[in-house]
Amino acid sequence: MNVEEYISSGILEAYALGELSEQERKEVETNLQQYPALRRELALIEETQEQLLMKAAIKPSAAAKTTLFTTLDTRRSASKVVELDTKRSDVSFWKFAAAAAVTIALVSSYLAFNYWTKWKATENSLSDLIAQNQRVAQDYNTVNERLDQIEKDLNIMNNPAFNRVVMKGTANAPGSIASVYWNEATREAYLSIKGMKELAQENQYQLWAIIDGKPVDVGVFDGNFAGLMKMKEVQPGAAAFAVTIEPRGGKSSPTMETMQVIGNVVKG
Amino acid sequence: MPSVFLILSWRKTSCIIPAAYKHSSEEALVVALQRRDRSALEYLYDHYSGALLGVITRIIKKEELAEEILQDVFLKIWDRIDTYDSTKGKLFTWMLNIARNQAIDKTRSKEFSKGKKTDDIENIVSKVDRKEFTELKVEGIGLQEILQKLPEEQRFVIDHHYLKGYTQAEMSEEFNLPLGTVKTRMRLAMKELRNLLKIA
Repeated sequence: MNVEEYISSGILEAYALGELSEQERKEVETNLQQYPALRRELALIEETQEQLLMKAAIKPSAAAKTTLFTTLDTRRSASKVVELDTKRSDVSFWKFAAAAAVTIALVSSYLAFNYWTKWKATENSLSDLIAQNQRVAQDYNTVNERLDQIEKDLNIMNNPAFNRVVMKGTANAPGSIASVYWNEATREAYLSIKGMKELAQENQYQLWAIIDGKPVDVGVFDGNFAGLMKMKEVQPGAAAFAVTIEPRGGKSSPTMETMQVIGNVVKG
Repeated sequence: MPSVFLILSWRKTSCIIPAAYKHSSEEALVVALQRRDRSALEYLYDHYSGALLGVITRIIKKEELAEEILQDVFLKIWDRIDTYDSTKGKLFTWMLNIARNQAIDKTRSKEFSKGKKTDDIENIVSKVDRKEFTELKVEGIGLQEILQKLPEEQRFVIDHHYLKGYTQAEMSEEFNLPLGTVKTRMRLAMKELRNLLKIA
């Protein structure tokens, strides 16, 4: 491993920032064991971070400290047995204690009920709001995904490197039309369709490129998608594209009688 | 340049006294904590509670809640000090991670946190909060002065991570910077700060 390169990748900073995944963190820890230079570098990063955060400190209230140490002490003494002082058990003390206990019990059960009712109401409205939020978030995701897709499609359609090949319906399907967006340099091909009927379960459409007079498979599709569908790569030199109906999964050579649409490549 | 730096730091390690002293005092502190020495915890609290509360507050953005989390963090430090391993980093970094995780857990325990994209909505909401909030909270005397000396790109990542509570990934997403760029700038900024803070 090149220690300098490793250091300059910034991974030790990310480690000190606590931003690595479990696995990355383990890797760094193993490397730290192995390379003292990494340990020295990490120590400097940590020192910088510490000084920076010391300067950005926000002083807690005095009460916070008291609460913390009281909590600690209570936790500690809770584990010890509390010894009872038997001498103080005279009658008047117990009378007072009983009266106080009853009052406290009454008041606190009233308060408890009161708060319970309020809490229930709040909890209901909270879970309504959470559900509502989730719905909004889901809608947002769906819309966002669709938008992403449309944006991607639009980029391809507007890209001058993609040649649009329009395929018109044959006598078999006069209402159908389809377009291939083909980038001859990168060989990418995308398909969009319009007015193509849904096929029986056992059939699929198959797209063909005609290269040197021979049909070459460009992939199969169903008749019900919107937007652009990525097809197989098309080697340079395609002169035309056509779609036939084939058994589901496609065939190695087209069934000419079922041709749906066909169109020639017009060099732009 | 880096190789010169490495040689320098290698030659120095044998004779840096303050660093060695610091290290051993931290070690002593950890041992005392592991022996359940209450005064050690008190020292730790007096020394670091401010820095940790700063971190928590900047993530959680609610003062009362932040102090509550700070309590939990110190209880956790007290309960888990046996799991601290000094070969993996400084005590402060360990505490910092506890504080940060505790605060982040709190923000996630609320509302929706399912899936990555839904976070975007949360980010938009918290971004608004963050803006108002950070204006109130720039305390650190001297800190702003030091940050002013950083080149703007570097100040941006330090400011957003340490003062506004962004993770590197969040910065990358929100400001459309490649994650690698954020990391590099963070690295350069930390190096520059090292000089400005005179850490060697």
